[in-house]
Amino acid sequence: MHPRAGAALSRRRFLALSAAGAATGATALSGCAMRVSSGISGSGETITVMVKPGEITPDDVKQAHRDLGIKIVLVKYDITKLIAMMTTGSPPDLVRGVGAIDAPYFAARNVMEDLDPYFATSSVLRPGDLDPVNDLWRYDGRTQGRGPRYGMAKDFSQDSMYWYNTALFDKAGVGLPPELDPVTFEEWLENAGRLTRRRNGQTTVFGGSYNGLMKSSLLACLTAAAGGSLFTDDFTRVDFTTPEARKALGWYIDYCKTRVGPSPIQPDPNTWDGPTYQANRMAMSNAGYWLGGLINTDRKLAQVSRLAPAPVFEGGPRISPCQGGTGLWMPAKARNKDAAWRVFEWFFGEGPAKARASGGWGIPTLKSLRSMMPAQEEYQKRVLRVQEAELKHFSVISFTPYATADALDALFNQIAPAAMTGRISIDTLAGRLSSAMNEQLKRGKEQVG
Amino acid sequence: MTTEQITSVAGRPEALAAREPVRVVNRPRTSMTARRQRAFYMFTAPWIIGFLLLTIAPMAYALWLSFTTFDGLSPHWRYVGLDNYRELFSDPVTWDALGRAGLFAVTSVPLSIIAGLALAVLVNRPLKARGLFRTLLYLPAVVPPVGAGLAFKQLFDQNSGATNGVLNLFGIDALGWLNDPYARYVLLMTVLWTAGNIMIISLAGLQDVPRELHEAARVDGASAWRTFRSITVPLLSPVLLFQTVTGVIASVQTIMPLLLAPDGTTAGVTLVPQSNYLYMMHVFAQYFAIGRYGYASALLWVLFVLILVATGLIFRFTSGVVFYNVDPEAKK
Repeated sequence: MHPRAGAALSRRRFLALSAAGAATGATALSGCAMRVSSGISGSGETITVMVKPGEITPDDVKQAHRDLGIKIVLVKYDITKLIAMMTTGSPPDLVRGVGAIDAPYFAARNVMEDLDPYFATSSVLRPGDLDPVNDLWRYDGRTQGRGPRYGMAKDFSQDSMYWYNTALFDKAGVGLPPELDPVTFEEWLENAGRLTRRRNGQTTVFGGSYNGLMKSSLLACLTAAAGGSLFTDDFTRVDFTTPEARKALGWYIDYCKTRVGPSPIQPDPNTWDGPTYQANRMAMSNAGYWLGGLINTDRKLAQVSRLAPAPVFEGGPRISPCQGGTGLWMPAKARNKDAAWRVFEWFFGEGPAKARASGGWGIPTLKSLRSMMPAQEEYQKRVLRVQEAELKHFSVISFTPYATADALDALFNQIAPAAMTGRISIDTLAGRLSSAMNEQLKRGKEQVG
Repeated sequence: MTTEQITSVAGRPEALAAREPVRVVNRPRTSMTARRQRAFYMFTAPWIIGFLLLTIAPMAYALWLSFTTFDGLSPHWRYVGLDNYRELFSDPVTWDALGRAGLFAVTSVPLSIIAGLALAVLVNRPLKARGLFRTLLYLPAVVPPVGAGLAFKQLFDQNSGATNGVLNLFGIDALGWLNDPYARYVLLMTVLWTAGNIMIISLAGLQDVPRELHEAARVDGASAWRTFRSITVPLLSPVLLFQTVTGVIASVQTIMPLLLAPDGTTAGVTLVPQSNYLYMMHVFAQYFAIGRYGYASALLWVLFVLILVATGLIFRFTSGVVFYNVDPEAKK
């Protein structure tokens, strides 16, 4: 029997109706979300690009609309949001990523589009013109650097290099490092100690900063510089107890212990080196060529700044890897792949790429754009000379597909400060790190299959 | 039963004797009670739909996730039953974080209530520019937590913070305020910084205390402290209970340590000094840095249950001391 018209709603019926309303609302919201990435507007298609602020500016968006007739909707990069968009089947059409650490992780989970067919037919991004750094975005199901291309770097640097301020060296009476030959990591640390200035318990000048882009990739690079490998051949495990990994770990913990630069136990309130270096409060900053983009904006600072080769370990190989290779990739479920590819070409090979190349914020990832790197001033020529010599030592340090760098860094941050403050030994730390990270890698391996 | 059905039944002689169809047919189509109920549900529907959509559904989803190995992206996640809960109960990091959260609640909640109440008593007095004082004391509570966190980070930075600048003026060496063992005190200061919230609520409670009671106590020769203890506090007890319950819930859910963390990146959550690595930091790390959505969801469900239990215990243990200024016969 149906309830009479106008009869009071029973609580059960009301809740059922509410649930139905909620479900309808959820569907409607989901529908709205789907339309965000595939809406058609104006003269051409609309694509959604998820980047960090400043990577694609509102001016770039206008320029793309003028040049390509494609409207770009920018979404601020946020890994949680990205996962939510991918889970609901409405991913952005292009997403920013760090090639060195993100490419194997996402490719192994089959969420990236194989871009080889697009590269094969492109007249803008010709395979022969691509710098080897773009191989960071290749993954063959087992090894990074081989197999299909899943993305491309917008520019790159050799992130184990460092900049130094000659004025602060002179003030401290420390000899300048050789221009083209690397110092050892031990010498670097000794110099940093001599350059550090302290007063009343405060550090007024950091002798040097050496933190890499991410701790896990830094440690992988340091281990490679010591002649070993942090990951096993199949990338399912890490081992910090090998002599090379232990040497690398020991050096980094010494760096933190001596408090010559920002570290997990002595954070820089600026959160990154740029402003501190700019304020003449940091004598050496571990950053590649890209920091020149900031330094060159201050002529006075640029004249006392030098770029130096990546340090080496005594007896270790000379390597100078890229720890980043930040660029864009296309999700496999992107809705406007062709339009997204056109924007991809434009961003990596046309106007924006040329602007980046001439700005000094990194080395162009197309060989044909190298000639546009800034070299008008004497200090720019000097930097370029060092950079060109360093390129001979470029190498790719592969990263595991079974864990994000964030996850490994979080575990490192949780465990390592005890060693930095002397509460546990390096050997104990090496054992604990291996154990915790291997647990995480095991979980990742299970999930990738 | 529809009206037509009722009429046809009424047409039969045997039914005619048993029922009075005329009265049934003439009954108003919608009774006042039904209309009231419908109005009630119509008015509450937006909230109930929102509650189902934005609270119950995510909670149910999180409950489901807590039985899986889901990490957000991987295709091969699986159902693991109670494994995440078993791991949680045997994980020392979880227990330590929970213990610190509990300790933080039992220190920060009484401190902030005392501070808020003291401020309320102060600004309830007949002062000059009382409105200005009330505004100034409440102002910090209006500052968004993110802004307050950044301000505290700058203020207490070892190398460039104003606090160490003041210490240096007195010949004291700079301290690492944002690291252990001092970080916990900075965190407590951020809680006291927002005592204006409690002040406002306590002030409203104070203004509800009948003046005659204070006057009678004064006539009887009671001291100010005795009046406060025996009249003001009992009459404020429902307000204090409310502040205790909401304060405990807020304190175990606080993410302020993250805003004070040295590294603003996702992985930086585990750089929060150990004394400030509270339960929610552990949850945040498991969700967003380590990507264990299943395990993190289990952590949240356990927290939810613990909050329910703690709230129940607070109500139980305070039932004899909270004074409700209502007529006890009114319910009957």
